[in-house]
Amino acid sequence: MDPLAATGDAFRLLFSGDHDLWRIIWISLRVALISLVLATPLAVALGFGLATFNFPGRRAAVVTLQSLLSFPTVMVGLILYMLLTRRGPLGSLHLLFTQEAMIIGQALLCFPVLAAYTLAAVQGADPRLRETAIGLGAGPWRTALTTLLEVRFTVLAGVLNGFGRAISEVGSAMMVGGNIEGVTRNMTTAIALETSKGEFAQGIALGFVLLVLALGINMALALIQGQGGMK
Amino acid sequence: MTALVHVQGLSKRFAERVVLEDAELLLQPGARYVLTGDNGAGKTTLLKILAGLEPADAGRFAYAGRAFRLADYPAALRRDVVYVHQHPYLFHTTVKGNIGYGLVSRNVPHGEKERRIRLAMAWANLDHLRDVPPNRLSGGEKQRVALARAKVLEPHVLLLDEPTANLDADSRQQIVHLLGELSPAETCVLVACHDQEIIGLAGTVRLHLRDGRLSLLNGSPPASDAAVF
Repeated sequence: MDPLAATGDAFRLLFSGDHDLWRIIWISLRVALISLVLATPLAVALGFGLATFNFPGRRAAVVTLQSLLSFPTVMVGLILYMLLTRRGPLGSLHLLFTQEAMIIGQALLCFPVLAAYTLAAVQGADPRLRETAIGLGAGPWRTALTTLLEVRFTVLAGVLNGFGRAISEVGSAMMVGGNIEGVTRNMTTAIALETSKGEFAQGIALGFVLLVLALGINMALALIQGQGGMK
Repeated sequence: MTALVHVQGLSKRFAERVVLEDAELLLQPGARYVLTGDNGAGKTTLLKILAGLEPADAGRFAYAGRAFRLADYPAALRRDVVYVHQHPYLFHTTVKGNIGYGLVSRNVPHGEKERRIRLAMAWANLDHLRDVPPNRLSGGEKQRVALARAKVLEPHVLLLDEPTANLDADSRQQIVHLLGELSPAETCVLVACHDQEIIGLAGTVRLHLRDGRLSLLNGSPPASDAAVF
């Protein structure tokens, strides 16, 4: 393999509007964004609840959540595979090897990231914030909303990190998506497949898109953190 | 005359430290009080208990002749009693957004809300800072925003915690001036402070907190209406 020639081919593929390549990019973005939209409300609510309320088992819940941050993506894929396989408890839903299964997997992967960021943000919020909202007559829902708005920059950083985890994972997508061309083949599974076949051009092109996305996410994070007054 | 606020047998301790012990407090409508006491005497704790932001260990509480359990601080009372923190927290919005926050909670109609915000901003000399975010304000400006944010709610009881602490001379003078104008007939103001100029404001009743108990240092003690309990 000539790396320079492969890279040249990769950029030709990318900028020639190659249909297969752009369909793979579209599937990746669609699956990751939907999983993020599904996970965000529940994860933010869980993070807020863990930070705000004291209840028996809270400490264990926080430790579990933090442990899930490093949960291997392939384990998520394995567990989901066992649940969704034809003879599994959820086999009747016929979700295995569909985009829906990939969405569930990626939602499970970005969920702890979002919840942990929200937990840290609310726990680290100025204690006068809640007192001030209540003292000015806000009820429990408005106080919660105000708190989340005040820590929005950290929560948004969690959303971007969650997106980063979803779009870049390969283990779960490969296991429950099955890497079916035009249906469940996303950027990471395509890179794995093409590389194993010795076809580097498409892999490099997709890797380039992933890198641009990672750079974009980090730039957005820096911008958000700057707006939030973080250094 | 029925006291606006009457608290009896108020007790509060943090671990082994007794902050309030069987304290009694009577506040009359339209009166201005200053609460003095050493650092750590419990002034902030007392104000927060009155505002329902801190639970008391024991005590009876009556507001406008109606008795309440302090443990079940009624939501309606939060609309009448407003507490301003020593270092006010301003939300990450504009000066106008901060001043209007409590009015939104009270579902004040839009037109009325705008009118009251405009008046409060003019009162606190904040017109030129209307759309400025709080991180660009000085300490004195933040304190004025907090005062305007409380005043705009037209509370019956206004609790101010060290409003001139840590301010430069000019800012302090502006706050003292605002406090002098702050006591319309229907509002009772209780200011915890060490500021001699506030303590010396005409018509101010001075309360002193020591060893967990309140004493009156000037003025005549109001008649206790214990029957309310």
